[in-house]
Amino acid sequence: MIPEPLMRYLVWPTVKFLVAFVIVQVVVAAMTYIERRVLAFMQARLGPNRVGPWGLFQAIADPVKLMLKEDIVPANAEKVGYFLGPMLPLIPAFVVFCLIPFGPPPTFVVTHVNVGLLLILALTSTGVYGIILGGWASNNKFSLMGGLRSAAQMVSYEVPFGLSIVGVLMLTGSFDLVRIVRYQESHAWNVLPQLVGCFIFLVAMTAENNRAPFDLPEAESELVAGFHTEYSGMKFAFYFLAEYAAMLVNSCLMVSLFFGGWSLGGVIMGRQVGLTTVNLQHLGLLGGVIGATIFLVKVMLFMVAYIWFRGTFPRFRFDQFMDLGLKWMIPLSLVNIVVTGILILAGAGTRYPAMGEVVLTLFGIVVIAAVILFLMKGPKPKARPAGVAHARRVSEV
Amino acid sequence: MHVEYPKYKWTDRFLLLDMLEGLKTTFRELFKPKVTIRYPEERLEPADRFRGMFRFSFDRCIACKLCAVACPIDIIYIDVHDETREIDGKNKKIKVLDRYDIDVKRCMFCSLCEEACPTKPKSIWLTTKTYELATHDRSDLYFNMQQLEYWDDRPRYEELGAAFEEPSGHELPGGAD
Repeated sequence: MIPEPLMRYLVWPTVKFLVAFVIVQVVVAAMTYIERRVLAFMQARLGPNRVGPWGLFQAIADPVKLMLKEDIVPANAEKVGYFLGPMLPLIPAFVVFCLIPFGPPPTFVVTHVNVGLLLILALTSTGVYGIILGGWASNNKFSLMGGLRSAAQMVSYEVPFGLSIVGVLMLTGSFDLVRIVRYQESHAWNVLPQLVGCFIFLVAMTAENNRAPFDLPEAESELVAGFHTEYSGMKFAFYFLAEYAAMLVNSCLMVSLFFGGWSLGGVIMGRQVGLTTVNLQHLGLLGGVIGATIFLVKVMLFMVAYIWFRGTFPRFRFDQFMDLGLKWMIPLSLVNIVVTGILILAGAGTRYPAMGEVVLTLFGIVVIAAVILFLMKGPKPKARPAGVAHARRVSEV
Repeated sequence: MHVEYPKYKWTDRFLLLDMLEGLKTTFRELFKPKVTIRYPEERLEPADRFRGMFRFSFDRCIACKLCAVACPIDIIYIDVHDETREIDGKNKKIKVLDRYDIDVKRCMFCSLCEEACPTKPKSIWLTTKTYELATHDRSDLYFNMQQLEYWDDRPRYEELGAAFEEPSGHELPGGAD
């Protein structure tokens, strides 16, 4: 038999990582289909529907096409950099999945690191090197500009990205994602007391992934396709994969930090209600699977939110974009830290130690209720003007 | 030109209400019926006055050649010979069509031939609601008399029955043959 330490430190982590790796691949493949379909639905068209039932096999057809495509390297490209460009963002994007708790530990966490959040922040920020390198090595001015924009974007949004998490860290008192999720199970989802932090995180994570409306490095109308103009075939597919894997990482972080991780429920009258770790423990492995499923569903909701933003917002101009990051997001996140700190400390010595958190939570609930009320009011949506959409459809002859 | 720009309130800068409104719009759009259709499986029915493929009626045609005269690009080819026939007990000299060809590939579907046709109902009409005319060979688009009258292999819309056989709106009361 394999000795116990080897099992514990090598075999099981490898198996778990491979499972996580496969899940990531499947999610990325599914996302190519979901993105095109949802975006099309938002634009009053049908999207891919030719390949297989409801066009589902499009998710397979796209990678197959990319694999069979000729790999063209520009004549004056820097060969090594051109080759390394697509590889570099892929590595951190996949390594990070070792640190994310997909379900209750220890089974559903590949490696339980007590400073996991720091490691994730450090790793994800290295993804931009591949984009800069690829943009520079393509020997194309538009690609280089795409790479430079990506670098500027990273510098200005890494700061609010990190600062928005600090509020959560102050509440939970830990860098450990598992403990952060446990904290949310025993209190409330962090989105309520840390609504401002959650909003900044949402904006910063969209910007970090170069997704619309912050897709300046690959702005089609300005830079043709930015850093991946010269890439085709599998090299392009790697960039694509890295982008979606990074999106997945950030969605996982969002869910773990602000939306209760693998749990669905919270504390009412001092008792844990719903599907939380304590309640799932009695089910053994099945409970873990339920937790992981809840986690994945939440993550997919945020992946769809990315598409939602892409379908809604026009791209920022570059100066507006830097303006938003440096003049609004960073001060806002600093104010959030200060206010959160003051409120937590205000309750510390008194008879109600949780007073600050209650105030923050009430603020979050009020804001969310106001937003929902704002969205509920307003005129009824008008029906689409009668025309082509209402022409009689004739079935197959 | 003087352009009125919308006035921004100071709250618009950071409350992002417009952005929420936009998100609401796209979310609602998700569940609305779509404008595009899955073409080969679903087809849109053309409007009543849509000009599609020609349809010709030999029985109604009086071989007056007015359509050929009206045609701006001269793609209607008509050959006629005179014949004496006994109709209603009298010998009458009538024209008989030998050839009625239309070079559809050059046609611009202006429908002037239909306008020029003196018979009621028209003996040449375009309101057949058939628009799938693509072929693999140019020569397939040269239609002779029989093909113009019987192109049943062309895609047609069973549900449209009457409109397919008769041009709608062309029949006058008591004006049939």
